[in-house]
Amino acid sequence: MSAPARPARTRDPDALWRWAALSPALLLMLALGLLPVLNLVMLGFFEVHWSDGRSDYRFVGLSHYAALATDPLFGSAILNTIVFALGAVAGQMSLGFALALLCSKATRGHALWRALFILPVLIPGIVIGAMWKLMMNPDFGAIAQLLELVGLPPVDWLGDPRLALISVILVDVWHWTPFCFLLFLAGLESLPRDVYEAAKVDGAGAWQELRYVTLPLMWPTIAVTFVFRLVLAFKVFDEVYLLTGGGPGTATEVVSFTIYLRFFTQDRAGYGAAMSVAMIFLIFLMLAAAAAARRRVQPA
Amino acid sequence: MAENAQGTTLRRRTVLGLGAATAAGALSRGAGAQRRTAPITIVINQSPWLDSFRRMVELYERESGGRIELDVNPFAGSLEKQRNSVRSARGTTDLLIMNSGWFAEMYFGGFVEPIHAIEPGFRLDPEVYTLGDSIFFDADTKTLSPRGRLMSIPIAPIVPLTYYRGDLYREHGINEPPLTFQQLEANAKRLHRPPRIVGIVQRGARGPASVSYDFYPYLYGHGGSIFRNQAANDYTVTLNAAAGRAALEYYLRLAREAGHPRTAANEQAEVIQNYVTGRAAHMITVVAAWSQVEDRERSAVVDRTEFAPPPSLPGLPTAPALGHWLAAVSRNVPDDRKRAAVQFLNWFQSKDAQIANARSGGMPIHAAAYRDPIADDRRFRWMRPLAAALEKSVNIYQFPEAAEVIAVLELGLNRAVAGETTAVAALNDMAGQIHAVMAARGYRTGRLEPLR
Repeated sequence: MSAPARPARTRDPDALWRWAALSPALLLMLALGLLPVLNLVMLGFFEVHWSDGRSDYRFVGLSHYAALATDPLFGSAILNTIVFALGAVAGQMSLGFALALLCSKATRGHALWRALFILPVLIPGIVIGAMWKLMMNPDFGAIAQLLELVGLPPVDWLGDPRLALISVILVDVWHWTPFCFLLFLAGLESLPRDVYEAAKVDGAGAWQELRYVTLPLMWPTIAVTFVFRLVLAFKVFDEVYLLTGGGPGTATEVVSFTIYLRFFTQDRAGYGAAMSVAMIFLIFLMLAAAAAARRRVQPA
Repeated sequence: MAENAQGTTLRRRTVLGLGAATAAGALSRGAGAQRRTAPITIVINQSPWLDSFRRMVELYERESGGRIELDVNPFAGSLEKQRNSVRSARGTTDLLIMNSGWFAEMYFGGFVEPIHAIEPGFRLDPEVYTLGDSIFFDADTKTLSPRGRLMSIPIAPIVPLTYYRGDLYREHGINEPPLTFQQLEANAKRLHRPPRIVGIVQRGARGPASVSYDFYPYLYGHGGSIFRNQAANDYTVTLNAAAGRAALEYYLRLAREAGHPRTAANEQAEVIQNYVTGRAAHMITVVAAWSQVEDRERSAVVDRTEFAPPPSLPGLPTAPALGHWLAAVSRNVPDDRKRAAVQFLNWFQSKDAQIANARSGGMPIHAAAYRDPIADDRRFRWMRPLAAALEKSVNIYQFPEAAEVIAVLELGLNRAVAGETTAVAALNDMAGQIHAVMAARGYRTGRLEPLR
């Protein structure tokens, strides 16, 4: 008996026109997205000097990448950035989830709670930096005055190397928890009610409901929120720039700030580009690891 | 004849006459506009002396009919804006207000036009401060030398002065200003009554040019330096010489024994804040802070402060570090705007303009302004110490990669002030890093034996 004939491939007469219609937008997106990155990668192999009003590009090969290993700031920056990202995201997601749960169960004032909880994310980053820097000032800040009222000494939140990074993390948690809160709230409100009713009928308590119903159903939202916030946390700059300037010492040095120093303040475009490419590579590795973990853990 | 609504008769001749007068007026305005100089844009930073500079610009506009637009930016933003403008094919800013930290970049990069190339007849007033000859550049030898060309005019001669509480001095029977380091230390310790008041408040925080700028008068006042002789292109690193060690150990001891408990976290704003609220007996900071100290709405120590040049070792001159601002003309702007910019600079450098500058609260760049009776006014008592300080001011960096060296100093000094490392270890580490930077950039450099 002969093998069954493969069905003839039917041609989609509109396929060509679909591609033709989409291609200008696709090309533009590729150009806007890829060209800057390619330019950055190329720049990482050059040293740029200026003389007589003109730029002079000198090829230096991989020497910028080799210099990263001995850069006194880069190593500290990578470590601090990882600690910052994990600490800040853990805080934001825990707090955001808790607030979303509370808000979703609130019987009254739902809209008011939501409006109050999202306020911090509406404030511009520079205002947040200025505001918290003033509040945390150990001589004149509001927090120092509150501590004085209860008989406690002032704390050098941003000047003590043991506290500076934690203080910046706390400010970031305050700033971005509403973002997580909104995503989680939207996720919670879209969950099917019948599952909860069934759980209630089966006699599930609040904790069992959370562990066996809510969390598994919310897993896709949690994973997306985690990835979003982790990538953004890795790019932290404005809070460090405004609150601590990377200090004291290198206690709050983060990669974005180091890149800013090398690229802009010191005008080392080639070296700054190499550092940026290294950072992009690290973030891609991190995303790949997160995706792999998600595939392993995701419920069937 | 034409009649208007009120029935008044307008004769044809009247109408023609009015029309002719209007046309003549329009023509003369047009001709006047052509005679007026081209409008220019000045990119400048947000600073305590900005208001006085703005008043000077307004005065120039009234006197000359010229038009100037001020493009005001934060400190770091001003540098970026200037870079973007000078590196493009056609610049957007005509006059660059450059800080001591980056004017060399503009000179070495060929981004600014020598003034005499724009206006050959320009004459630099001989009483204008040259501020470490930083207004000149010799492109052949790559040095700041009067043998080179005139590249810029000073705008704000910023140097640090010692601010001290004259009222507390009188109360404690101290009759002399703190002109030596020994006097400063003794007086600071004597007035040190924490937590109510500290003997001195210093900058210790890491920033774009924070703790390092605070440290320079101590370093140079002890006879130390960062490089051996920049004017001779000798960039041997001398930071970790005996004088450097003495300077840093003094700086740290002062912070520890008579200073603010959180010196390592203090930026310039915190230093001034502590002083104007009466929590510090001394500060050594930029002269531009005088306006805040004497501001009745913001300061608790109005009319209680006296001024002196920064201290030094006996037998050595005061050595205030220049943190000054210079104005130079962009190379990539049209010629008429270059000429208009030079016209403004020519007016600005004059004695009369500089006396007006002083009255506006600015810091004059002309020596004659400091001899004017205004300097005897109690409100301007900072002028004579400033004049004395300017005579001995030190231009710390004469090369374009200064930002890299400053970054090394900022981190190292901050760590030393925070107690993370000793003075000796900090100096050796900084010297090593600075040597590596200069060697990588191809300068003639070397280093001293590490301190033990």
